[in-house]
Amino acid sequence: MKFLIALLLWSLVGTANASVRSEYEVKAAFLYNFTRFITWSDPLAEAPEMRICVLGQDPFGDVLQQLNGRVSQGRPLALAYPGSLSDSDGCQVLFIGSARSRDLPAITEYAHERQMLTISEIPDFVEEGGIIGYVKEGNVIRFEINLQAAQRAGIHVNSRLLELAVRVIR
Amino acid sequence: MMERLRWQYWPLKTKLLLLTLSISTLGILLVCTSLVVVENENYQEQLESELHVITDILTEQSAAALLFEDDQQLNTIISSLRQIGTIEQVCVFNVSGEVVSELNSSGGAGCPDLGGAPQVGFVGDFYRLLEPVTLDGDTVGHFYLMSRLEVLREHIRAFIVVTFSIGIVIQMALAWVALRLQRLVSEPIFELSNAAQRIAREHDYSIRVPVYGKDELGHLGIAFNEMIGTIQQQNLRILESRDELERTVADRTSELSLANRELEAFSFSVSHDLRQPLRAIEGFGQALEEDCGDQLNETGRDYLSRIRTATVRMGGLIDGLLVLSRVSRQAMEIKQLDLSVMLEEIVDELRETTDSLPTHVQIQRGIRVVGDERMLRVAFQNLLENAWKYTSKNDQRRIDVTACEAPDSITVAIQDNGVGFDMKYVEKLFVAFNRLHTPSQFIGTGLGLATVDRVVRRHFGEVYADSSVDRGACFYVKFPSSMQK
Repeated sequence: MKFLIALLLWSLVGTANASVRSEYEVKAAFLYNFTRFITWSDPLAEAPEMRICVLGQDPFGDVLQQLNGRVSQGRPLALAYPGSLSDSDGCQVLFIGSARSRDLPAITEYAHERQMLTISEIPDFVEEGGIIGYVKEGNVIRFEINLQAAQRAGIHVNSRLLELAVRVIR
Repeated sequence: MMERLRWQYWPLKTKLLLLTLSISTLGILLVCTSLVVVENENYQEQLESELHVITDILTEQSAAALLFEDDQQLNTIISSLRQIGTIEQVCVFNVSGEVVSELNSSGGAGCPDLGGAPQVGFVGDFYRLLEPVTLDGDTVGHFYLMSRLEVLREHIRAFIVVTFSIGIVIQMALAWVALRLQRLVSEPIFELSNAAQRIAREHDYSIRVPVYGKDELGHLGIAFNEMIGTIQQQNLRILESRDELERTVADRTSELSLANRELEAFSFSVSHDLRQPLRAIEGFGQALEEDCGDQLNETGRDYLSRIRTATVRMGGLIDGLLVLSRVSRQAMEIKQLDLSVMLEEIVDELRETTDSLPTHVQIQRGIRVVGDERMLRVAFQNLLENAWKYTSKNDQRRIDVTACEAPDSITVAIQDNGVGFDMKYVEKLFVAFNRLHTPSQFIGTGLGLATVDRVVRRHFGEVYADSSVDRGACFYVKFPSSMQK
């Protein structure tokens, strides 16, 4: 009897797991959601579309393609995969792949001068000068925010987003 | 006793008071009820808008947390609602309708299923509210809130208590005022009614009611007083005229009785005094016939005989007048009589003293009347003598006396088979000195039936006759029962 109940519970857990999304699905959703709580202070950056660029290796696979065409703050999203940093001019959001962790200060400095929101899953990304960094707490994906970097870049982060951050560097 | 409790027996005061109080009670009840209803509506609206404000704030706060699936943050946000004691349940749903955060104050039922379109608004003891959580026009989740209405209920209960307490106080004040004011109306009516009753009971027309004010009640009082004044004056006049009338009647009566007495004395003395010369005429007539009869020739004796016959007739007339005046004057001695026996005696006398015609007299036995024996004997003697006399020319005589008793009277009928009379002279029958036959046909004085009439009238009865010529006559004597008792 107990065995049957255990079996039943196990099968329930199994189906529950099936509905749980993959790590990168969550991160992709977060990426989209970040854009909804961020405002750029420079009106020139108000291009008709919001360009999201992935620098370096793309860890999302085709998950990120779902963002293509979605609308954030009235602007449609557009994905771009610049080959080099200099190609990334005109991006509003810059996701930095893990492979580029070595020249991170240069990338963030370059990006922040051009009012880009820098996002990465590189550990301690915010301490290195990035604006939003993914962190993993157990199985749950969370994020940290470097408000000083954001302010320097002229990017305003909504307080609701700050409330949710695991850590905010002010 | 139960009768006294019925509406129509209630005094006017009570009715007026009840009327006023029922109207004011109705008014106060309506006002209180509408106040309670309006207050309930207002309070519900207020409660609703408060809850909406709270929800709006919370949905705005929780939008980001929903997006980033930060359940902890959501729990923090909604746990602030714990401070509001009436919140029963709060649920936050993500965009796909799953419960991501939940607050249950009394461990009741779980969150509703969003697919089943949960009830919202005031249902039962709860107010339920479901609002979408939106960000830039996108729905990112739902916020469900369920609040107990005990505060509303308690508030309304307290409001009802207060409202109705005030209502009762107002009603008491109104009752006091109504008690005072109804006197303005009921007092004059009460006094009017009292005065009318006293006047009806004591016939004291000097009573007047006090007049209050110039309204209808005042007019009523004035009219009542005037009416009673008029009645008083008329009553006085009636009493005066009655006294006057009584005095006049007494005067007339004494005058009349004096005249009657004088008349009777006159007729008595006349009859009495007439008798003496008549007796002289008769005596000397007789003496003349006896002593000098042979000296007179045939004609002389004839005249003498006529004189004596006339004298006898006159004697009869005088006797008749005396009887008539006696039955008119005599004091009555009333007692119960057996009329049948009396009539038998009279008939026996008649049989002995008159002709020997074959006679059949039938008298009903046991006729009992109340009256004066001597007078009734005179009356029935006259009636039977008449019957005897007017049948004397028949081959045989037949007289029937019967009595007929009605509830209010007894009627004695004397039927004969005599010559009868013409009914057109019936009016003259009972008038003195009126005769329907000449002395040559039947002798008589013309006083008999007048005497009968007088006697029967003195017994408060009446006498009447029915006849036709040669068919006999019937005389009826009717005595009223009141006399009989």
